[in-house]
Amino acid sequence: MHRLLIASTLALGAAAPAIAADDITIGFAIATSGWMEAYDTPAATAAKIRIDEINANGGLLGRQIAWVEADTKTDRAQSAKAGLQVLDEGADMMVVSCDYDFGAPAALAAESAGINSFFLCAEDVKAGIQGVGPNSFSGSVLAAVQGATMAEWSHARREARTGYVLLDTTIEYNKGICTGFDWMFPQLDGTEIVGRDTFKNDDASIASQITRIKALPEEPDVIMLCSYIPGAASAVRQIRAAGINSLILNGSAVDGSYWLDATPGLSGFVVPVQGSIYGDDPRPEVEAFNVAYEKASGSRPASQYAYPGYILIDLWAKAVERAGSLDGAAVTAELEKMKGEATAFGARSFSGELHHQNSAEMQIVEISDGKPAVVDSWTISEPVPLQQLLN
Amino acid sequence: MNTAAQLFFDAASLGGIYAMAALGIALIFGVMNLVNFAHGQYIAFCVFALIVPSTDAVAVMFLGRAPAFLLIPLLLAVGAAAAVASEYAVFRHLRKATPVAMMISSFALGFVIQNALLATYGGRPKAISLWPELNTPVTVMGASVPLLQLIVILATLTVVAGLALLLKKTRIGLEMRAAAENFTMARLLGVRANVVITGAFALSGALAAAVALIMATQTGVADVRMGGQIMLVAFIATVIGGLGSLPGAVAAGFLIGAVSVLLQAYLPLDARPFRDAFLYTLVIVSLLVRPQGLFVPSSAKPRV
Repeated sequence: MHRLLIASTLALGAAAPAIAADDITIGFAIATSGWMEAYDTPAATAAKIRIDEINANGGLLGRQIAWVEADTKTDRAQSAKAGLQVLDEGADMMVVSCDYDFGAPAALAAESAGINSFFLCAEDVKAGIQGVGPNSFSGSVLAAVQGATMAEWSHARREARTGYVLLDTTIEYNKGICTGFDWMFPQLDGTEIVGRDTFKNDDASIASQITRIKALPEEPDVIMLCSYIPGAASAVRQIRAAGINSLILNGSAVDGSYWLDATPGLSGFVVPVQGSIYGDDPRPEVEAFNVAYEKASGSRPASQYAYPGYILIDLWAKAVERAGSLDGAAVTAELEKMKGEATAFGARSFSGELHHQNSAEMQIVEISDGKPAVVDSWTISEPVPLQQLLN
Repeated sequence: MNTAAQLFFDAASLGGIYAMAALGIALIFGVMNLVNFAHGQYIAFCVFALIVPSTDAVAVMFLGRAPAFLLIPLLLAVGAAAAVASEYAVFRHLRKATPVAMMISSFALGFVIQNALLATYGGRPKAISLWPELNTPVTVMGASVPLLQLIVILATLTVVAGLALLLKKTRIGLEMRAAAENFTMARLLGVRANVVITGAFALSGALAAAVALIMATQTGVADVRMGGQIMLVAFIATVIGGLGSLPGAVAAGFLIGAVSVLLQAYLPLDARPFRDAFLYTLVIVSLLVRPQGLFVPSSAKPRV
């Protein structure tokens, strides 16, 4: 009896780690503190929702998915350390910070270990083959696609013929949006870019930029504002206060109604998004996700930047299933075969040249009287060429 | 549109913000040779005091709900209290330390304030709807000027005039000027060091609160990093104005604002993203030509 007890204790003791060792481990090297946390946590929460769904459906390759996490503290040096830490803890795939600058050090660690890395929501072409290596991907849609979508949609649906480009030169993402707009808008019939200007996200005032717009002989039909919050909110407040009523076009970075108090009663403000957080997305799967997210985190997503987290786990898991392996190169090969792969948030494609979306269906959210709502959906007529992205 | 008038108002209002921030830094430097790098975080602290502490994405107004006649003195008091508290907690223990040690601890203090804000309010910028009607433009001399710009210019002039009166006409002002000239000598002659230093910190904090009110009204957002850029410009203004010179700091603040607006207006598009590089090149040139600063107080000259 005594011997039996010892034997079973040993068996149990051995069994617990054996199950864990059989788990697939996803390593999150993301910011759980510092200012980046506000952007990483929602996307990581979404990723974990998809992991739970996969586990509930019997797991991946017949194994359960477990995850480990290390904090990059919104610091580039800590990011590399966090990457190494999750590798030490046995990560088979790594999810890194939203932004290229803060995610790349960890992604490079994943690359040298030969496993896949996914940026939570990077929208700069560098966050992939070009800036990390062959096994790195992003779950989001390139900034240039957002700018090009705005150009083509406003031309088709709002008769935009004259455009003004206002670029915030603080980060690469902003330049990406304007690149897309500058590529698409001049190609369209009867259009003209009547002026352009730059500012910095933390400028105390953009009075001189506004003076330049006011000095135009005619108010432009659209202003392409390539910026992010807080600078974008501040710019919009000052533009509208100055009595400029042009339609303001933006990238996805300004999605979310949390900042709308900065410009009470805002109208004529358009944002392209991967899915609507406002409960009016035409695709029921998106709203189902919003509800699941609220259940998991206690509140609905504050912006569309939760969605790429869900998408990236979804795509990666499908590729692993098809490759029948967790090997980075094998999974990459399967991911690169994806052409118009369906997800809850629209079709996604990867290629041997680009681990990003250079075209995607985007929902057009317009803010009227301070109320955001989906007014349309748009896919650009041709993908943004790689040459434009690398410029 | 009258271009010259428009440029003048754009330049004067931006310069006014810089001048007010520079004054806050120069005041403290004057009495204790401390460049207080936490000044930018005082500004951020005051902006965040307008909203209820919470990490939720949507901000709820807190002090910001109060009517203007209450809110302005209240926020100035909050700023003054924050600055005085930091003097009491940190800088009082460093009176005998070298200026470098004090400067480093002011960096550390700024870091602590910023991270405390981050922990309390989260990293996402928040919207603040403070007096949006003040951004309505009015026409002055052919230029279209938001009301707030006029208020900034007038407020800066009032603050500078008020401070000049305070320094020239009151006992505490006299003591502050004496302390700025020669702190040891002033103490020997009976100037109350603690009163002077506390007074300088309170004034400096109130100026930070004034900048915070302007920034919140102008931009409509609160962000933990928002004081940093102004602090940098203000510090440069105090240096090229002549460290320790209050009129110098104000004049240099206006100067930097004006040059920044002129560069933005007249640089060709390709060079415009490098506006700040041009601005700081001019700062370097100014320091090469007049290393002691453009507007030097008499106390800076060697007397022997």
